[in-house]
Amino acid sequence: MCGILGLFDPGGIEQDLFTFSAALDRLKRRGPDDEGLWHDPFIQLGHRRLAIVDLSPAGHQPMVSGDRRYVIVFNGEIYNHRELRRRLDPPGGWASQSDTETLLEAYRAWGPGCLDLLNGMFAFAIWDREERRVFLARDRMGVKPLYLGERGGRFAFGSRPGAVTRLLQQDPLDFEPGALRAYLELGYVPAPLSFHRHVRKLPPAHYAIVDARGERVVRYWDFRCVAPDPSMRRRTETELAEELEALLHASVRERLMSDVPLGAFLSGGVDSALVVAAMKAVGVEHPRTFTINFREAAFDEGLAAAAAARHLGVDHVHETVTVDSLLELLPEYAAEYDEPFADSSAFPTMALARLARRHVTVALTGDGADEIFGGYHYYPLIERLRRTLEWSPLARAAVGTVARALPAHRAKLLAGALRQPDVVDLFNYLRSVGKDYAPLLDADVLRATASSTDWFAQYASSFAVDLSPAETAMRLDAGFTLPELFLQKVDVATMAFSLEARCPMTDYRLVEWAMRLPVEYKLRGSTGKFLLKRVLFKYLPEAHVRRPKMGFGVPIAAWLRGPLAEWARELVYDESVMSRLPLERQRVRALLEDQRSGRREAHPLLWTVLMLLYFVRMHGARVESPGATRRAVA
Amino acid sequence: MRVLLLLTDLYANGGIQRFNRTFLAACVRMDVRCDVLSLHDTEASIGRHAADPKVCVRGFGGHRLAFIAAAFATLWRRRYDRIFIGHINLLVPILAIARLGLATWTPTYLVAHGIEVWCGISPARQRALRRITRVLCVSHYTRTRLQELVPGLDPARLRIFPNALSEIWRCQPDGDGQSIVPERYILSVTRLHRGDRYKGLVTVIEALSMVADTDLHHVVVGHGNDAAFLQGVAFRLGIAHRIHFLNRVSDDELMDLYARCMAFVLPSGKEGFGIVFLEAMYFGAPVIAAAEKGALDVVRHEETGLLVRFGDVPALCAAIERIIADPALRERLRRGGKAAVTDAGAFTFERFVERSREMFLAAPESNA
Repeated sequence: MCGILGLFDPGGIEQDLFTFSAALDRLKRRGPDDEGLWHDPFIQLGHRRLAIVDLSPAGHQPMVSGDRRYVIVFNGEIYNHRELRRRLDPPGGWASQSDTETLLEAYRAWGPGCLDLLNGMFAFAIWDREERRVFLARDRMGVKPLYLGERGGRFAFGSRPGAVTRLLQQDPLDFEPGALRAYLELGYVPAPLSFHRHVRKLPPAHYAIVDARGERVVRYWDFRCVAPDPSMRRRTETELAEELEALLHASVRERLMSDVPLGAFLSGGVDSALVVAAMKAVGVEHPRTFTINFREAAFDEGLAAAAAARHLGVDHVHETVTVDSLLELLPEYAAEYDEPFADSSAFPTMALARLARRHVTVALTGDGADEIFGGYHYYPLIERLRRTLEWSPLARAAVGTVARALPAHRAKLLAGALRQPDVVDLFNYLRSVGKDYAPLLDADVLRATASSTDWFAQYASSFAVDLSPAETAMRLDAGFTLPELFLQKVDVATMAFSLEARCPMTDYRLVEWAMRLPVEYKLRGSTGKFLLKRVLFKYLPEAHVRRPKMGFGVPIAAWLRGPLAEWARELVYDESVMSRLPLERQRVRALLEDQRSGRREAHPLLWTVLMLLYFVRMHGARVESPGATRRAVA
Repeated sequence: MRVLLLLTDLYANGGIQRFNRTFLAACVRMDVRCDVLSLHDTEASIGRHAADPKVCVRGFGGHRLAFIAAAFATLWRRRYDRIFIGHINLLVPILAIARLGLATWTPTYLVAHGIEVWCGISPARQRALRRITRVLCVSHYTRTRLQELVPGLDPARLRIFPNALSEIWRCQPDGDGQSIVPERYILSVTRLHRGDRYKGLVTVIEALSMVADTDLHHVVVGHGNDAAFLQGVAFRLGIAHRIHFLNRVSDDELMDLYARCMAFVLPSGKEGFGIVFLEAMYFGAPVIAAAEKGALDVVRHEETGLLVRFGDVPALCAAIERIIADPALRERLRRGGKAAVTDAGAFTFERFVERSREMFLAAPESNA
């Protein structure tokens, strides 16, 4: 985990290193071990280092190539860098053991084509002094973030949007209307949008070239078009499970590359248990694993995690907290996320990162398995609803009207689902946190911006032909929900405590294999991750593997009626906050009152709005100290 | 010989309609007298086209009952040597009429184009398919799919009957009317309907946004209810100024667009055949298509065009860049494409007429 930053002006740069250093300070937690600056008349580059591989000063960044033509700032890890070194022959020999130098030489040797050879998580920038050109790239699945911004002919980039806006001297509340709409609908801001105007995310698997002629963004890898391979059906389930296990082991083995202590997150679920089992299988004798236990049984997976740890024979560390104690993290949460972010599981993830950092510097996680192997509850539902997509609109409207009239929440959901014309809309409906967000937003913003359905439809246009509805939903999740919601959450939550997270399930070879795997090995009836669970049967009792999925939930609805009730009310009625946003105030307030009175369960959308308002307050007014905020929310 | 053609439509735009017109032209060439009943054509659309004394076309403006009644009356009044059904949607009612005793022994042919037969066939249609004389499949993929979907269908009844370039395209553009488009562009010609996103236009727009040559434009000929979505995609990718949507163009304008484009790009995932590829080849446009389904019969990789995996944006971007940057490759593909639709090529009108003649002149074989 590191942080990178840069400012480029093809016409020549004003050397304001004070502003640059101040912006670089925003990346301090990403890299507490070292800081580096480099500049020439056209560019300023900065780096904050969390030393993981080659702890010596030879790994210092920005790193200049032996011939002094290229300068690199790099965040992440190249897991196959030793293998790449064998294919490279730098003119002056190798100066360090660091993967940064390998990456620099790989770019010198192969140009943008080097990306096809990299296996890792990365976001980096390489300045070519001869061509006066910046090359920026992000890893295939979007584990590492990279934000780009342009304003007044100056081009900035960095690991956090807040650092980029600062370099561009832009008001952090000068927001992009399309991003605001997407956020209210989804609870996160999908790439390439960012919350900030003039700033956007470089999407996963893309690189950008910036020079005096402008900018070009190019996709270099695409899992969307990988078609399910019917020939895999000729293999037995045992053979497929062995193949999957071998891939997983290879991925985990590469992610053990570290010169600092390394452990893993372990919940009671399938994915993290598989990662830990793989760590043991590839030779880590006593992996250290971490879990947060909750005193409240309804949210606690501690017992399941402990049982998994016992079966796997690992050195398990846990911390028991109350759910309400997570509220202490709210100010930290808002301070570390430079964009509004509504996934409440960020709180326990931060608590877990805080715990793990006391013992290790690197932690492996199970993120990515749900999206590529079919773990979410709505995949079987989408598969069941596939027939209804073939009904005539009249038949769907008739059944929908009947369902809407029923009192059950699920019937109303079904009624909404039946209104969706195709599988992309159906996915958007089931996935969105704010199904009725539109009335809250100013009508002009709605008219001028795209719905998240448009983003999804655009993305899905490149999916392999004849995918099942569930596979379509999985690929949309792998393209949006995984990088923009879960990987971002893990990145920010671990970054806040200077911990590096690594996600073996996002290995591109594993992803490509999963895309080829026919859907029946992912979903079997209402069972998700069918083949993945089969692999885990080798390591854990079947009853443990078949436990219902629990997730990392927090009681937002209860919080909003209890400890956060006053805080929420005060935010919603704060004119200085509301006046900065194109929201329909009365409707937002009505939403809060509905939730408080119990007239309606609206906490997902309400929480999304509150996180937005809180973001505006934290980044706009900047009047409250974290301590004051903590008192306010407690 | 007298043939009854029962079609969904004849004079609209689209691959099926073009196949129908080519088939009708082939019948005229063979001196076959044709009575055409077209479900969706109107007297107005028919009136806009030149009449041929050997052809009688009647349109029903979409009125199914009137169409069925007319088919019944026609078969009641006259005995035909062959019945030709242009779309599987018409198969069951027409076969039912024929089996009422009106044309039980008349050899009956159905054309299976693409998506209309790939996505499931009802049991009634399956039964009907097993009874007719021949199913003319426009591509190998369509034949394979029919065999998968209709158990017990005799393979001998399935014949590959590819499309061809119709005679009406066998002229050269006059070079007028080209001011509407930029100097250097790639071209796509297709329907723009929401249900047709498999045509791959979003992929083309994405790929264009990544091509190094930022002076390259994209001209899209077609209309439909998805145009606003596609314009939104172009806007979001920051290249709206490089994408030109031409709603409707005349045949002359279209020929001119084909002749002047740097490449014809339609990486469709579900093309039954892809007659637009033939048109592009005829006018010398290098073709880029997806290696999927019917397009595999039409485009030979590196000979008559370039094939990329459907949805593979980096590969499509690389293919466009190759064609733009390499005049020798462009010339080779132009020559290869042209050869496929001229002289002794597989997709000439003459070959189509030959195939039609063989089919009609073969010993009459009744329905099962």
